[in-house]
Amino acid sequence: MKRQKPLTKEKYLKQFSRAARWRLPPQESEDAISDYRELLFQEERDETRLAEELGDPVQAAHLLTDVKTYRRWLKVFAVLAFGLFLLAKWAWTGWTRFYFSFADQWWYPVWVMAVGLALSLYWFKRHGQKNGSMPKWLLPALLVVLAFGVGTMAWNWHVFSQIFLEHYAGMSPHIIPWQVILQQELVINGGMVCALLALIGLVLAKCYDRRWLALYTLAVTVAALCGFIIFFCKSMDLSATIRGSAQSYLFARLIPIGAAGLIGTGVALC
Amino acid sequence: MLKKDLLELCLLQLLSQGDKYGYEVLTPLRAAFPDTQESAIYALLRGLGRAQYTEWYMAPGGGGPDRKYYRLTSAGQTRLEQLRTDWRGMRDAIASFGVE
Repeated sequence: MKRQKPLTKEKYLKQFSRAARWRLPPQESEDAISDYRELLFQEERDETRLAEELGDPVQAAHLLTDVKTYRRWLKVFAVLAFGLFLLAKWAWTGWTRFYFSFADQWWYPVWVMAVGLALSLYWFKRHGQKNGSMPKWLLPALLVVLAFGVGTMAWNWHVFSQIFLEHYAGMSPHIIPWQVILQQELVINGGMVCALLALIGLVLAKCYDRRWLALYTLAVTVAALCGFIIFFCKSMDLSATIRGSAQSYLFARLIPIGAAGLIGTGVALC
Repeated sequence: MLKKDLLELCLLQLLSQGDKYGYEVLTPLRAAFPDTQESAIYALLRGLGRAQYTEWYMAPGGGGPDRKYYRLTSAGQTRLEQLRTDWRGMRDAIASFGVE
């Protein structure tokens, strides 16, 4: 038989807080957490009987949940999380079974990003809540993602330059220069890691402070840029025309996409 | 009358006797309804607040930090009267079957 692990008051409050923040609107969750803090830390409260008297902490949060609002949030989260899954999958495989005759595949990650940005900004501006001063780890996290994004784009600028592509095309087809291997590693792994960071940002924005959405916005932008590059690489050949125009074609599109993502990040921070 | 209504009746009755903080409300109700956990009673208390049958204010608690005190509103008083009437009706109906 499974024995129930004894809960301390702190542990109970932590579990309850987590569940309440995930399920309830921000103001309601803070009220409920403060009430539970008061209830738990009564002198008369017997710590060994917490689960018996108060019930399971997740169940306690469930009892306070407005099912309609919570389901609406779950739907929004499902759409955003599915978008992130697609971005991670595309980064890993560089392949999709979707086919739309009116657009090249490298635009798919950008569509996912556009839907993600619009939906998340709408939802969190309406239902999210700021919680005091800027979260401590938000700015460092944004700087890391931004530095990675800028670095990756700079490397791609170099790899897609006509001089480099001429040099690449002149080599034996069996030799892949280390610059290309590094570029592939950056966009594949970077795309996946950014999709994961975006998911973390989304959860933190729901549970703690809506400004964490800036992490989602920036990371999803970098993941979409990586996806764009991966699909572009998969479909390109090294003919003379492409070698001459790849860099300008690619960056004439990547720069506006990146700028849109940065604007979204700024909006999420406000 | 469902068990939830009985709990609500007892909760409102308790608050009609004077303002009480959360623990003071939950403990006697749990003692009276041992198979009901405090989280369920607390959810009911919040529901009553949302329906504006109760309201709360912060006041100093016995030497410790401030506590949240709950009190009955006039709408809550009306609801209590309604639940009392329902309860009496049910009690009489059950008594008519010879149930003591």
